[in-house]
Amino acid sequence: MLAIKQLSKQFGTKKVLNQIDFSVQPGRIVGLLGKNGAGKTTIFHSILNFIQYQGQIVWDDHQLTERDYDRIGYLPEERSLMTKLTVAQQVIYLANLKGMRTKVVKKILPDWLTALQVKGGAADKIASLSKGNQQKIQLICTLIHQPDLIILDEPFSGLDPLNTALLRNIILREKKRGAMILFSDHNMNNVENICDDIVLINQGQVRLKGEMIQIREQYGSTRIIVETPLKAAALKSLPHVCSVTPIRNRYRIIIEDEKYGPEIFAAVSGGQYIKAFDQQPPTLTEIFKQEVDQ
Amino acid sequence: MRKIGVVIKQTYLRQVKSWSFVALILTPFIFLLLMFGISYLSVGNATENDALAVVASSATQRQATVKALKTQQVKLNRRYTTRPQAKQALKNDKISGYVVAQTKAQQVQFQYYGTTALSKRTKNQLLAAAVQKQQALNFSAAALTSKQAAALSRAPSFKQHVINTSVDKNKTIKLISFMLLLFMMYFILLTYTATTAQEIASEKGTKIMEVIFSSTKAENYFYGKITGILLVMLTQLLIYGVGGMAIYALTPRIKLLADFLKQHQTLIDGVLHHLLSFNLVYVVLGVLIYTVLAALCGALVTRPEDATKATQPAMYLIMIGFLGALALNQAPNNFFVKLFSYIPFLSSFFMPIRLINQTVSAWGNFASMGILVLATCGLTFYISHIYSGLVLQTDEMGLLKSFRRGITIK
Repeated sequence: MLAIKQLSKQFGTKKVLNQIDFSVQPGRIVGLLGKNGAGKTTIFHSILNFIQYQGQIVWDDHQLTERDYDRIGYLPEERSLMTKLTVAQQVIYLANLKGMRTKVVKKILPDWLTALQVKGGAADKIASLSKGNQQKIQLICTLIHQPDLIILDEPFSGLDPLNTALLRNIILREKKRGAMILFSDHNMNNVENICDDIVLINQGQVRLKGEMIQIREQYGSTRIIVETPLKAAALKSLPHVCSVTPIRNRYRIIIEDEKYGPEIFAAVSGGQYIKAFDQQPPTLTEIFKQEVDQ
Repeated sequence: MRKIGVVIKQTYLRQVKSWSFVALILTPFIFLLLMFGISYLSVGNATENDALAVVASSATQRQATVKALKTQQVKLNRRYTTRPQAKQALKNDKISGYVVAQTKAQQVQFQYYGTTALSKRTKNQLLAAAVQKQQALNFSAAALTSKQAAALSRAPSFKQHVINTSVDKNKTIKLISFMLLLFMMYFILLTYTATTAQEIASEKGTKIMEVIFSSTKAENYFYGKITGILLVMLTQLLIYGVGGMAIYALTPRIKLLADFLKQHQTLIDGVLHHLLSFNLVYVVLGVLIYTVLAALCGALVTRPEDATKATQPAMYLIMIGFLGALALNQAPNNFFVKLFSYIPFLSSFFMPIRLINQTVSAWGNFASMGILVLATCGLTFYISHIYSGLVLQTDEMGLLKSFRRGITIK
């Protein structure tokens, strides 16, 4: 388990992180959320010992040292490879630095290239690959040594939906293997799709943390998606309705408390058949907006 | 250690496989080859049309003249035997001139025809041949006994003895040794300072450094990087050394160079003795300390194109050392030469002046080398310690500001 305890960091007079506490368990994916500049990358840099910090970062009851580096896979926010090298040379160099033997890398590299559907061979120059394929190579460099702790800083940025799905499957495969995965993303759909836990950081402090489903449910099922012939004004005039937002041929209604759900259903349906009535907790995007705007 | 090895290997191979390194290695050899080629061709041409043809009234007369001229080592072209042939050959620039040999009233007559006047040496050679021939003719006409002929043939003896050459020769050896050393160090420093700064600056602008620092400590990476660059430099010196030895070994087989080698053997041996001594250690340590300084300079900028600007402080130091040593190399006892020979960054330029001129004691030499080693190790250790902060700080700002920001990150 990776435990971050009382983590604080100050750049000059600016306090970037303030008493951050959370943990990552083996076989679980933790999504680190926050606005740009919230301090997500600073947390990653602290874990990787790039910067000095106050507090403790403990992995299986010991401070993180260079000896743990071979068990870490890190994908930075901006992609970057040595463009003059070939794919094989690049992967071998970085894998060698993680303690892997060249022979082993050469043996398993073709499987990784196939799994990630990289368009280009091991002998191709990095510079000759497309941006998306370079991104896949960087992901291979991050994961090829089967790390126990995987840190992914916005891994999906710049990928098309097909490649996003491909990458998601790879991350889930790593989770199944038992790796601890910590990742950040601005796309809440990606987070909702693969995260087990979330940590929301705002202004250097933890605003929310825990299992994602529980967090969503703790906000209550105050969100109703309904398809009805009634007009928005009529819906707005119903008791306990906070807001009504038209979404194509449906409406999203936010109510004061989830207990008023049956009452709203009765009023909207009037005892007649309606095509859709779905009462659910707020989405991660809505929670994010609510918490960050506060 | 294993990871340092990986970084060394990567840095070394990337450098030595680059075209710029191959060009750097080949340039002096290509230059030497060109020099030899040009001199060989010009000598070849000279041998071809620098010769004289011999024309005489009879074949016997001509044979005798050729024999006499050959004894005097005159360059001859024996293809043209008649006057019209020789005249045409001269016109076509095939020979430098021709000699018409004849004997009139027991007197040997040589007449030279050519487009330029004879050199003093050739003139003397021709004259000597004519004298020899005339003497033979005189002896035969006088019908002398062999004893009388031997007595008349006796020539005076003259020998030249030049003393006190070793002082001048030593001076020349010292001057050549120092100049070779100084220029070699200057060019190596310019090359490797620029290469190092460029390499570090181009890496700094990329996020790959974060991936690398998540695999090995920045300190280890820095040590690996510097060692890799030093190995590249040592490879270059080794190739030059082996190449130089090969040329030195081949020189006696090339007639053109063999004479030169024979003539300057003492000088060449003396220069080699000065080069392959403590001076070489000062060169290597000098390159090391400047490489570390260049790495610091490169780590202060975020774009490779700014690397040249960043290396200016190192370049100024190199220029001070180079020009200072150039100006003061004949004054090994000068106060500034003595002072600078103990200051790191400058001692590599100034201590060789004192070592070559033997104006420093062994203790002085070891003290200077000790200071240089300590300064190099201290600087390497310090920069390795702040390297992560310097490289991971990618905001564009001035060199000093970038340095201050870098040392506060870690």
